[in-house]
Amino acid sequence: MRVYQLDSYVLLLSGRDCLQFLDGLSTNKVDGTCTTVFTKTNAKIIDMVEVIIVGDNVALVGHNQYKNNLLNHLNSRILQQDVVMRDISEFNKVYISFDDYPPSDDITVVNTFRGLIIVAPNSKEITSTLTEDEFNNYRVEQLIPHQGFEITPSVHPFNCGLHELVHEAKGCYIGQEILTRMRSRNKMGKSLIRVDGEPDDAITRGKTHSLVIRKED
Amino acid sequence: MDCGTCETAPAIEVIKPKVVDANLTITDKAIDMLTEAFGDDRSHALLVGVLSGGCSGYMYDLQIVESTDIDCQELVISGFRVLVPNASSHLLDGIEVDYVDRLMGGGFKINNPNASSSCGCGESFA
Repeated sequence: MRVYQLDSYVLLLSGRDCLQFLDGLSTNKVDGTCTTVFTKTNAKIIDMVEVIIVGDNVALVGHNQYKNNLLNHLNSRILQQDVVMRDISEFNKVYISFDDYPPSDDITVVNTFRGLIIVAPNSKEITSTLTEDEFNNYRVEQLIPHQGFEITPSVHPFNCGLHELVHEAKGCYIGQEILTRMRSRNKMGKSLIRVDGEPDDAITRGKTHSLVIRKED
Repeated sequence: MDCGTCETAPAIEVIKPKVVDANLTITDKAIDMLTEAFGDDRSHALLVGVLSGGCSGYMYDLQIVESTDIDCQELVISGFRVLVPNASSHLLDGIEVDYVDRLMGGGFKINNPNASSSCGCGESFA
C-alpha cells in the first residue's frame, strides 16, 4: 500500500454559514465534501484545500506552509456570518494513499483527484510506506501537482493543473473575474506538463520525467 | 479525524473591527421602492449587511426581516427601521442606498465611500 504523510493543517469550522462562507471565497462549488482553491483578487493561489463534511462541522485540510495566509484571508471576512474556526492540526495527522485504504471508525478517508486523503488522530498508527522521492516520482508520473512545489502563491489554478477545481458557473468569488476571462478567451497561460529528463525549469524531478510549468508548444 | 478532542481546541480569535455608529442615507427613489415593498407595515426592518464572497471579497446583503439574532444597531430613516450588523458597521458607515430603475442590472444599489474597488455588478466590494 502506497501511503505518504503530508505536511498538513486541519481546521474545523462550525456554524450554520460554513459552507456558504467557503463557497463565496473559493473556486469550486462548495456544497459538500470536495477540493477547492482559495485565490486572491489577482487569481493567484492562497492554498488548495480538501473540504470534508464531518457531522455538523466542516474540516479544511491544506498545506501547513500556507496555513497562516489562509487563516488571515478567512478571518477578516467572517463578519456577521455564523462561522467558528478551530485549529485541530495538533490532534491529527494527514496522509495520502494511492491505493484503497481500509475504512475504520476513527479515521476519515476522502477520495480526491490526488488520491485518498486520510485524516487520522495522533493515536492511530499509520505508517508511511513511501519516501519523499517515491512520493514525488509517483506524482510526476501521474501529473499530480502538490503544494509547495507546483501549487504555490505565484501561480493561478490553470497554471498548475487545477482546471477541474475552477467551477464554470458557480458565480462570484475572489479571483473569479480573471479566471473566467482567461477560460472564456482560452488564454490560460502556462500549464503543468510532464517532460523527459531534468530540464532547468523542472519543479519536481522524478526518475525519468519531471514536472514543469511552461507554455505548451 | 479526532473529533473527540476537536471541541477542546480553542476557537481561533476572529478579527473584530471597531464598531462604529453607522450613518446611512437612502435616496428618494429607494424610499419609494421600500414603501412599495413594505406597504403600511412598519413592523419589519431593512437589514443592510455584508457577507463574505463576491469578486471583491465582500458582498452586500439586503433583507427585509421581522427580527434577527445578529447583533445590530437600529436606525430609523424616513420611517423605516434599518438594521446594521455591528460586525459590518465599519464597512457600511456612510453608505447611500439607492435604487436604479433599468431593465438590466437594476434594483437596489449601494454607493459606498469605504470601498476601494467594486465589481461590475455592484454587489461586491473590497
